[in-house]
Amino acid sequence: MADEKSTVVREPTKNPNMPLSWRKETKPHRFCPGCGHAMALKALGEVVDELGILDRVLYGCDIGCSLLSWDFFNFDSVQTHHGRTIPVVVGAKRARPETIGIAYMGDGGGYAIGAQHLVNAAQRGDQITAILANNTLYAMTGGQLAPTTLPGQKTGTTPYGREVRKTGSPLQGPELVAAIAPAGAYVARGTVGEYQQLKGYLKKALRNQMEGRGFSFVEVLSTCPTNWRTNAKDTWAFLQGEMARYFKVGELRVPEPAAPGEEE
Amino acid sequence: MKEVVRKGCTVFSDHGPAFGWDGGLLRKGGRVIKETQLTGEYGAVLEKEQRSFMTGNEVVAWAALAAEADFMYGYPITPQNEIMHYWSRLAPHFGRGFLQTEDEMAAGFAMLGGALVGKKTFCATAGPGNILMQEPIAMAEMMQIPGVWIIQQRGGPSTATVIYSQQELRLTTAGGNGEGLRIVYSTASHQELFEYTIKAFNRAWQYRFPTFVLGDGYQAKLREAVTLFRPAAKGWTLIPAEPLVRGPGIPALDREPVHLRNTFNIEEELYARLEEQLAAYERLTPEVVEWEVEVGPETEVLLVAHGIVARAAKQAQKMLNQQGQKVGYFRPITVRPFPGTALRQAVGANPNLRLLVVESAYGQLLSMVKAELYGLTNPIDTLLKPGVGVTAEEIVATVTKRAPKEVCHGG
Amino acid sequence: MGRVLEAYVGEYASGKSENAINRGRQLARKGRRVRLVDLDLVEPFYTLRPLKRRLAREGLEVLAWETNELVGLGEAAIPIKKEMTTALAFAGDVIIDLGYGVDGRKLLNLVAGSFATDNAGARLRLLMVVNTTRPLTSSVPLIVAYIQEFGAVDGLINNTHLGAETTVELIQEGAVLVTEAARRVGLPVVATAALRPYARQIGPYDRMGNPVRPLDRYMCDAFW
Repeated sequence: MADEKSTVVREPTKNPNMPLSWRKETKPHRFCPGCGHAMALKALGEVVDELGILDRVLYGCDIGCSLLSWDFFNFDSVQTHHGRTIPVVVGAKRARPETIGIAYMGDGGGYAIGAQHLVNAAQRGDQITAILANNTLYAMTGGQLAPTTLPGQKTGTTPYGREVRKTGSPLQGPELVAAIAPAGAYVARGTVGEYQQLKGYLKKALRNQMEGRGFSFVEVLSTCPTNWRTNAKDTWAFLQGEMARYFKVGELRVPEPAAPGEEE
Repeated sequence: MKEVVRKGCTVFSDHGPAFGWDGGLLRKGGRVIKETQLTGEYGAVLEKEQRSFMTGNEVVAWAALAAEADFMYGYPITPQNEIMHYWSRLAPHFGRGFLQTEDEMAAGFAMLGGALVGKKTFCATAGPGNILMQEPIAMAEMMQIPGVWIIQQRGGPSTATVIYSQQELRLTTAGGNGEGLRIVYSTASHQELFEYTIKAFNRAWQYRFPTFVLGDGYQAKLREAVTLFRPAAKGWTLIPAEPLVRGPGIPALDREPVHLRNTFNIEEELYARLEEQLAAYERLTPEVVEWEVEVGPETEVLLVAHGIVARAAKQAQKMLNQQGQKVGYFRPITVRPFPGTALRQAVGANPNLRLLVVESAYGQLLSMVKAELYGLTNPIDTLLKPGVGVTAEEIVATVTKRAPKEVCHGG
Repeated sequence: MGRVLEAYVGEYASGKSENAINRGRQLARKGRRVRLVDLDLVEPFYTLRPLKRRLAREGLEVLAWETNELVGLGEAAIPIKKEMTTALAFAGDVIIDLGYGVDGRKLLNLVAGSFATDNAGARLRLLMVVNTTRPLTSSVPLIVAYIQEFGAVDGLINNTHLGAETTVELIQEGAVLVTEAARRVGLPVVATAALRPYARQIGPYDRMGNPVRPLDRYMCDAFW
């Protein structure tokens, strides 16, 4: 079994909706109401519990809103500089390969300032799991253009809307990683709009690492009502509409043969 | 006064015995050592303690091996490449690791990742690589994550040249966006490169401030004899690395999870943290500072230099004294923390003493010297040759001419 | 005697350049036409470049870069000069100073005719320079392993020294190790090379009966 080394059995908790991996003391979380991070992190916590790997995880986050996840979990974590989550987790994984390295980042961290790290960890086949929340802008610094900003989308630094001719088209991250990662990579794009599907992708991404197959990458389409200036209805509509039309949800790379127990 | 203040490596730790040369590795990580005959032969190089003819870069790779470094993360830049070449040749035989990263930032941050999970990590860089490396070093400084950086200085600014230079003194001692809480050894010979690299690992894991060996392209490529040895054979105890995250026990069940961050909310929170760190740094300073000095009441000129230039200065001192001149010599071995008290003692007793600060940079050492001598009125002459080597003959000529250029202000 | 074609190979900082220069000069002093080729592509610090004019005055034709021909000299690696690829197409003797590297003898693939025999039956001989005070060639098994990793060579040169700390005894001990390693791989020891004062003390043959080649120092002036 892939996870035979796992030592942590989920204990019955008083609140069955709160994963053991979630740190009660830091809940409620400090993300904005409607923020996609909370959903993505909840899914991640549940998956870590289901896989029983709490004691093996090193969780890395950077600065950007993902910073607020630094004490979100009950597993060990380190917060690093903007964009440098991947090299920190790669360094730890290389030094102690039994570590389950999870690098959590936003689209600015993964696709702009730290793009070289994503590209090179992917092409080296580093056995870590990178999770990237795509909300189409820089949220913590006040809503600026990100590589993922949609054409025409207004941000703090594209006040008249993103002009593709001047600032390019939104980066297709999973497509990029899928194109360059060697055999054994798992690459998917999920969305906080499809929770069970997202959980399944995250689980496969972690299993892929546990089985030592290769680089694992999940982009999560996420929401930022605060910077989008949207109410609940419009937030959902943007996520499921414009974003989902441009960024196609699904699995891009699934290593063969599929491991048993992946059919969720 | 003639003294050489070097701190021994024997007193650092009561963490129990050092790891053995071979068996220790197996105990440490459970890794399988490739038991080839070569492994034994390579190990024997350290055991035999023979004089070896090597370049400085090779010396560093052997020193890291002797210091039981676990992992090197590297990115190519001249003039440090052979450190990576030799480490990656030797490391597999001893169960050690190497990863070539995509850039210096990745190398530096990967080092921190390795150190966080309890491994002794290091890297080597130079010039523009040193600039990029300041980012992870700043994080190491803030979070007190140990690590060893080998800097083989090159000419600057920018890409420039690759051999003679001491222009990374300021960057290495005070780079980053903080207070420069680092330990920096400036070496002048292959034997020092070997011993201070080993010592740097101990200092880094003892005090948990980023620790540097500041060499240069000349030392990197110079060929000279050196004696390699196993630290245990000299009674040096190696300080073991301890995991800062992923220590024993299941988080949330057996222990609290470890959450590390370098971001703060308010100034007071940061200030409290920095006060603690600054106090720790002040405490370590007298334990760490090292220097060489030769001065007497009759000394008229004190040569002040560090690193490879100090070697020329020492030679010049000898030549001048043979000519009947009264010339002394001061060399900081730790350029951070700077042996300011020792320098002030050497200078302060004699108001007529002139200093001659010599460096392959335009006043980087000079500004440190001036800061330490604030209030004294001793004249300071300079021989500043940024990015160019300095010979003993040039120093002799400068002393003989005695043209004052700079005067220490204050009083 | 036909054309002398020799490439000096070996571990980093083993003394390849010094031996190549001295061999070239020795041949030139006999009135032979000699071409010296700097094929050190990864160690741009100790190269023949700074010595080019001096050696030319001594009658050698030197294929190496001039300082003003390149930018970024110190950055490894130095580009190969196009004349070097046809270095062996020369009527006289050719001595090649081959840089170290994990590729071993493959570097010679860059030179046309490296592994061919000329019309007069001459072919390039690869001579491995060994200094037994270099850690990775400091014992018989290490020297043997180094040769095996490098690939086929034609002979070994004992170049054991410790810079200013060299002694005759040290050179002789090196000769013992190199000769034993050579015996194990079935190669001849072409010479023990030593600076002239040591060579004079050792005499025409070292302890193991290998001929002694006196060296004059050139490379101390070559460092950048």
